[in-house]
Amino acid sequence: MAEALAPRLAGGRERWRVGSWLTPLLLLIPACATMLGVSVYPILNGLWLSFRDTSLISQTDKFVGAANYVKLLADGQYWNAWIHTVVFTGASTLFETILGLGMALVLNEWFEARGAVRAAMLVPWAIPTVVTSQMFGWLFDGQNGLVNHILVGSGLISHNIGWYSSPDYALLTIIIADVWKTTPFMALLLLAGLQTIPRSLAEACYIDGASAWQYFWHVRLPLLMPTLLIAALLRALDAFRIFDLVYVLTGGGPADSTETLSTLTYKTLFSALQFGYGSALATAMFVTEALIALAFALFLIPRMRRTSA
Amino acid sequence: MTDSKKPGASQAGAEPMVRREFIKRSGVALATTAGAGIATAGAPRRAHAAGRTEITFASAKFFGKETIAQVVDAFNQSQGKIHVTYVELPPPSSSTEVHQSLVQQLARRNGNPDVFTQDIVWIAEFAAAGWALALDDVVDQAARKAYFPGIVEACTWDGKLTALPWFLDSGMLYYRTDLLGDAKPPETWEQLVETSQKLTKDGKARFGFLWQGKQAEVLVCDLVSFITSNNGKILAADGKTVEVAEPAVVEAVQLMHDTINKYKISPQDVLSWDEEPSRRPFTAGQAVFLRNWSYVWSIAQDKSESSVAGKVGVAPLPHFPGGKSAACLGGYQYGVNAATKNRDAAVEFVTWMSSPATQLRFATQLGLAPTRPAVFDEPSLLKAQPFMGTLKPVFVGATPRPVTPKYSQVTLVLQSEVSKALVSGDVKSAMASAKSKIEAIVKA
Repeated sequence: MAEALAPRLAGGRERWRVGSWLTPLLLLIPACATMLGVSVYPILNGLWLSFRDTSLISQTDKFVGAANYVKLLADGQYWNAWIHTVVFTGASTLFETILGLGMALVLNEWFEARGAVRAAMLVPWAIPTVVTSQMFGWLFDGQNGLVNHILVGSGLISHNIGWYSSPDYALLTIIIADVWKTTPFMALLLLAGLQTIPRSLAEACYIDGASAWQYFWHVRLPLLMPTLLIAALLRALDAFRIFDLVYVLTGGGPADSTETLSTLTYKTLFSALQFGYGSALATAMFVTEALIALAFALFLIPRMRRTSA
Repeated sequence: MTDSKKPGASQAGAEPMVRREFIKRSGVALATTAGAGIATAGAPRRAHAAGRTEITFASAKFFGKETIAQVVDAFNQSQGKIHVTYVELPPPSSSTEVHQSLVQQLARRNGNPDVFTQDIVWIAEFAAAGWALALDDVVDQAARKAYFPGIVEACTWDGKLTALPWFLDSGMLYYRTDLLGDAKPPETWEQLVETSQKLTKDGKARFGFLWQGKQAEVLVCDLVSFITSNNGKILAADGKTVEVAEPAVVEAVQLMHDTINKYKISPQDVLSWDEEPSRRPFTAGQAVFLRNWSYVWSIAQDKSESSVAGKVGVAPLPHFPGGKSAACLGGYQYGVNAATKNRDAAVEFVTWMSSPATQLRFATQLGLAPTRPAVFDEPSLLKAQPFMGTLKPVFVGATPRPVTPKYSQVTLVLQSEVSKALVSGDVKSAMASAKSKIEAIVKA
């Protein structure tokens, strides 16, 4: 059998050599073309537009150098939105990570109906954000909302709070809605990370007489750290693009207090049809996101090296 | 598809067969869709090629007992020279998408669509861009008198009539007839404040006056109603002089702020409310007055949705002493593409669409209020839409929002700055800031 096959294989290898680089290359073309078409080209096109004064309304379209960026740096609206976006990203990522970790620790333990609870936990994450927005719109309604009703009823506040109509509370309310919605996602990622930690370590800790806290702080948390940081990075990059909750609930108001980079960019691009300046906004957003990713990476990579070593 | 032609693929078992079958089928499906696409685009042209001029008409989607497509069909059947193909755009609730779609098509200047409908605030933009055909020789001065003056003003840019009126909507004052009793609805803001305070103090209603202060387009509509009723303006008639920091405007914005903080006739929540959130407490019987559009009427009278059915009246919005009631003008209007290759056919079609008979049809069948005062007096209109008859006095005083081709940028500034004024109470500095920002836009 083997002798009979050998010459055929050899001949096959000859033919295979011709196609050895051609076939994979051909197979890669569709994927590469798609990536170039839907991802690289739009980014480069956006970058190119950000150096032009393209606007469908004034019908201008010429090269203006860095004028859009100069305007951007002096634009109070932009920095206002930038600060809101950074505050939102920081706060929501922090709370979602802490709460998600708590949820993951609980769900990692065995208890009655754990499967059902794990499934139920994911429900908020599975609901479309627009629906979540409507729901939180009702819950935090200033006049007939359940939250005010409970807070007033329990005597914690003396009169209704206008959650969405006061610049002091609007961003906070949106952060609460986002934390409710996305914590399960963090819990899921962290649960997966927890499950990779060998049981034997828990047993060793038990035998050595370590307390539950010591086990968590000195064994589980360090081992979970890479997963935790990657999950937080994913979450931060996603939170940075916050759009739908704001768009549905407040439209950026009141008094610009919930305007984020995504909503400002959307308004500039699609309401005012200023493609040039809008692209500069989008590019600035892209740069900030890249900086966030870089900061995480600088923090993450040495840790991962240490863990694997 | 290349791999299904590869020799030997069919011998490799069932899976490639399935895949090949799938590819074949999807190919067929694709070809059918493509064919259908060509057929829908091309068939009417061929079918009606016998001497008929083909034009296209793009409009945002409106419907009632009839659709726009049915009205267009009626035109196609009424004569034998022109055939109109109707292209449906998203509904007006997605007006950003409608705007975008129109701008993209018009900017190509290839004459497609020949006729379109536009939100009243885009008229100046389309005219200044040179996308809308001037219709001055089609509608002479005498014919223009047959429309409400506010709507003709809104359809005019740089002295030229660049849009033809279709239908109107405007902000109006809804009030509770049972709470007001024999008293007439308030004519001045002062009266509205007094009545509201009295009725809420007596416990007859929870809120006095509901309006819309969400940082969105609707805030600019409410703003225009307030400031125009004090003889204030956002832009002077030249479209370049910004008047938002004038005392009359500041006083009006101050009143908007005071309804919440000083007179306490409006809850702070109005700052986050657009149309529907402000409508709900009113139809739930919690408020005396509401500023809103005409759509609220049918909801308010519907017993399954409203606890105040039969107890609601409508009146023009109040004004300042020495001012006149002013409602913010809304609605879609016709435009003819300046690049159309069938000017005469397009003009004939819009003339028919804007004629008294067609306006009456839109009013009775789609509930769209006519732009010709005379149509309001038709008995068949009053029979089909009794409420519309009461709107005539409201529409007479309706005022356009600032007429400028840069409206879409101006409105974003107004939304942001007026929202700041209402939140902080520092009206003067917010309006001064709005002035300098708008000046930078309109003078650019």
